[in-house]
Amino acid sequence: MNGWNKTRWLIITLLVVAVYWWAVMGIDFNLHRIIAGLPKGKVILERIFVKSLRYIGGPFFWEMVMEMLKTLAMAYFGTFIASVLTVPFAFLAAVNFSPYARFFKMFLNFIRTFPEILLAIIFVSMVGPGPFAGVLAIGFHSVGMLGKLYAEAVENIDMKPIEAITAAGGNFWQKLIFGVLPQVFPYFASYSIYRFEIAVRSASTVGLVGAGGIGVPLLLKVQGRNWEQVGVIIIVIIITVVIVDYLSAYIRKRIV
Amino acid sequence: MIEFRNVVVVYPNGFKALKGINLHIHEGEFVAIIGPSGAGKSTLIRTINGLVRITEGDLIVEGKHVQKLKDRELRLLRRKIGMIFQSFNLVKRMSVLRNVLVGRLGYVPTLKSLLNLFPKEDVEFALSNLEKVGIRDKAYVRADQLSGGQQQRVAIARALTQQPDIMLADEPVASLDPPTAKVVMDYLKKFNEELKITTLVNLHDVDLAKTYAGRIVGIRAGEIVFDGRPEELTRDILIRIYGKWQES
Ligand SMILES: Nc1ncnc2c1ncn2[C@@H]1O[C@H](COP(=O)(O)OP(=O)(O)OP(=O)(O)O)[C@@H](O)[C@H]1O
Ligand SMILES: [Mg+2]
Repeated sequence: MNGWNKTRWLIITLLVVAVYWWAVMGIDFNLHRIIAGLPKGKVILERIFVKSLRYIGGPFFWEMVMEMLKTLAMAYFGTFIASVLTVPFAFLAAVNFSPYARFFKMFLNFIRTFPEILLAIIFVSMVGPGPFAGVLAIGFHSVGMLGKLYAEAVENIDMKPIEAITAAGGNFWQKLIFGVLPQVFPYFASYSIYRFEIAVRSASTVGLVGAGGIGVPLLLKVQGRNWEQVGVIIIVIIITVVIVDYLSAYIRKRIV
Repeated sequence: MIEFRNVVVVYPNGFKALKGINLHIHEGEFVAIIGPSGAGKSTLIRTINGLVRITEGDLIVEGKHVQKLKDRELRLLRRKIGMIFQSFNLVKRMSVLRNVLVGRLGYVPTLKSLLNLFPKEDVEFALSNLEKVGIRDKAYVRADQLSGGQQQRVAIARALTQQPDIMLADEPVASLDPPTAKVVMDYLKKFNEELKITTLVNLHDVDLAKTYAGRIVGIRAGEIVFDGRPEELTRDILIRIYGKWQES
C-alpha cells in the first residue's frame, strides 16, 4: 500500500465512523435503557414464543388459522386480479411490442413506489375497513411489480417462431396465442406465484391499518399486551409463510 | 408463377439490398439462390411472401401483385407459400403436433384455432405430414426435445400442412451437419417432385446447390449475376459471384 492509498483508507474510515456517530446521536441511542429493558424483553419474548405454545390447538388457535386462511384468500385474489390486469401493461411496457414502452415502464415504476401499507390506508378510507381494501392494496401494488417482470418476459421473446406463423398466414391473434403465449405464460405464472408469496406477507400486515386479514386480531392483541395470543398469531403466520414459500419454490421450479 | 420485374428493395435505413431484380420462376422448378453473405439472398426470398415489402418494381406471385395486397389478401397468399428457416423457428415450448398445426392457421377460422378446435381432418393431415418426414412418433413431444435435423423436419411438415404451391427455404441446412443436411435436402427435393411444389432455396454451399437444384441463381450486391443450369456454373462465374478471394 502506498502513501496515497493509506490516506484514502484513513479518510474513508473517518467518514464511516462519523456517519455512525451521527446516526447513533440521531436516534437517541442509550445503552442504559436497553439494559434496563432487557428483563422486560425477556418476559415478552417468553410469553410470545414459549407460553403461547400452550394455546396451540386450542379454540383461539383454530380461530386464527381461519383468519390466516382468509388472509391467504386476500393475497390470492389480490395477486390474481393483478396478474390479469398486468397482461396488457406487460405488452405496453415491452420495447419489442410498444412504441410507448418507456412511458409505461415509468408508470409501472410509479405504481410500485407506493408502499402497500400506504395503499391500504388509502383504500380503507375509500371503501371502508375490511379485506376488500386489503385486496385492492395488494392488487394495485402487484400490478407495479408484476408489470415490470412480465414486460421483461415479453422482451425476451424469440421473435423467429412468430415470424414463421406470419409466413404461414397467421393473423395477429393467432400469433399472440400460438407464438407469444407459450413463450411468456410460464414466466407470467412463475412471477405471479412468486408475487403471491410476497402478498401473503403483506396481507398479514395490512390488517394493522384495518384492511382485513390476520393483522386485525394481531393489532388488537398487541394493543391489549396479550403476548401469548400475539405469539399464537405470529406462529401461525410464520408457519404459513414457510409452507407457502416452500410450495411456491417447488411449483416455480416445475414450470419454467 | 413467380415474376420479379425490376424489383428494388430499400431498407428503412436507406440500404439498397436489391437493385433491380428480373427473375421468372416457373411452376415446379427447384431453384437454388447462391451468393456471398449480404448479397441479398434472404431479402429476395422474403419479398415473395411479403415478409419484406418491395420498394420499386413489380412482383407477381400466383397472379397477384404482392406489393398491392392488403393484410387479409396477403395472408391468403402466404398460406399457399411454405417457408423454412435456418434456425427452424418452431415454438419450442409447444408440442410438435401443435407446431405443425400452425400450417393450418391460414385455413381455420380464427376463433376455432385460438380455442385449439382444429377439424379432425386437419389434425390427421398434420400427422400424415409428420409421417412423410419420418417423425410421426414425435407428435406429442415438446419441440425443443428434438435434434436440429428433427426440428427442421417438423418445420417441413408445418410447411406441407399449408398445402403449399411454393416452398421458400432460407439456408435450411446451414445449422445442420452434412448427413442431416442431406436428409433435409432430400425431403425438399422429394416434395418438389412428388407434390409439384415450386421450391426456392437459399444456399451458401455451392456443391449442395449443384446437387439438388435444376436451376441456380447467383446474386451479388443485390444484383443477379448468374442464372442458369448447374453445369453452366463455371469457375469463372463463381469468381464473378463470390469475388476473386473465394475458393470454389
Ligand atoms: N432490416 C434491415 N435493415 C437494413 N439493412 C438490412 C436489413 N436486412 C438486411 N439488410 C442488409 O441488406 C443486405 C442483404 O441482406 P440479406 O440478409 O438479404 O443478405 P443474405 O444474402 O441473405 O446474407 P447472408 O448470407 O448473410 O444471410 C445486407 O447488407 C444486410 O446488412
Ligand atoms: Mg440470409
